[in-house]
Amino acid sequence: MQNFKNKLHDFEAHPPKETWAKISSELDNEKVIQLPGIRRRSRLLFYGLTAAASLLILLIVNVFNNSTTVPSNDKAAMVSSTQPAVNNNDSVNQNKQLLENIINTPASQKLLASNFQKNNGNQKKYITVAGPEGQPVKISPKVATLILSADNQYPPKPIWNEKIDEWQQIMLNNTTSASPAGLMDLMQSASGM
Amino acid sequence: MIQGCIDGNRQMQQMLYDTYASKMYGVCLRYAGNMDDANDILQEGFIKVFRNLEKFRSEGSFEGWIRRIFVNTAIEHYRKKVKSFQVTDIEDHNIEDTALDVLDSLAAKDIMNIVNELSPGYKAVFNMHVIEGFSHKEIASMLGITEGTSKSQLARAKSVLKKLVETRLKQTK
Repeated sequence: MQNFKNKLHDFEAHPPKETWAKISSELDNEKVIQLPGIRRRSRLLFYGLTAAASLLILLIVNVFNNSTTVPSNDKAAMVSSTQPAVNNNDSVNQNKQLLENIINTPASQKLLASNFQKNNGNQKKYITVAGPEGQPVKISPKVATLILSADNQYPPKPIWNEKIDEWQQIMLNNTTSASPAGLMDLMQSASGM
Repeated sequence: MIQGCIDGNRQMQQMLYDTYASKMYGVCLRYAGNMDDANDILQEGFIKVFRNLEKFRSEGSFEGWIRRIFVNTAIEHYRKKVKSFQVTDIEDHNIEDTALDVLDSLAAKDIMNIVNELSPGYKAVFNMHVIEGFSHKEIASMLGITEGTSKSQLARAKSVLKKLVETRLKQTK
């Protein structure tokens, strides 16, 4: 390197005295302003306050809801009144499901089929019972079932009981033999009396 | 001291300023057209130094890092002032550096005075290439000119300098 280059490269000169004061004051101004920092801080503050306000609102709403809901006794009553309906529905569905499962199982299907066959094979149109004077009376199986189940047995059949009792009395007092029409004859006899 | 400056310790900052102000003012004077511009560059340069001090990696010399900031600041200042180069391409780009050997016999202050007589464009390219060691490609990129323009400006600067030195020497004799 030529000598003059070194001389120029290393050339020094004293700057004016006030230069540092200017630099210092400019640095002070930067320190005071610091806009980005303030903005960042204020943004954080804003988000923090928003979050806190949201939590507070949620808390208030929650407290308000708790205070306006029915008392615990009423609540229990409501639960007890609504719960069985739900349970009933559930149990009905469960029963249906269970029944379907039973019916659809091959073993049950065979049993049902055999019962059906048995009933159809031995199907009796009429049942002959002894009347009060020993005479034979033919009645249909349905009526016989109704008469038999009317003897204050469980489950009770309140609607039919009186009528059936009446029929029982007719049957017991009737000296005439019932015609093969069964139930209709009985009805006619009852209405005629 | 560097950490103190980063922390904003004003005493440390003043200490750094006192250490490098004279050297950097020399850089500013080489590039600036006048004292006012040199003062502006010095002030702006130190503000940049304090702002960017935490970016300094202790890999190279600290003085070199500061000097680079001042050179860049001076170039920015120059580009703001001189919107367009007065491009005067000359044929002969190969003026020998030996033509400037006469400068060696002069004192640093006299050399500075002669260099400061160059036009801003010549002075910028001369300083960047001859004193700082930038390539023409780098100069072209930094000043926003072509490499050819940089070369021709340098040649022109050397030619002018040679004439100025000869005139100065004749005057002293």
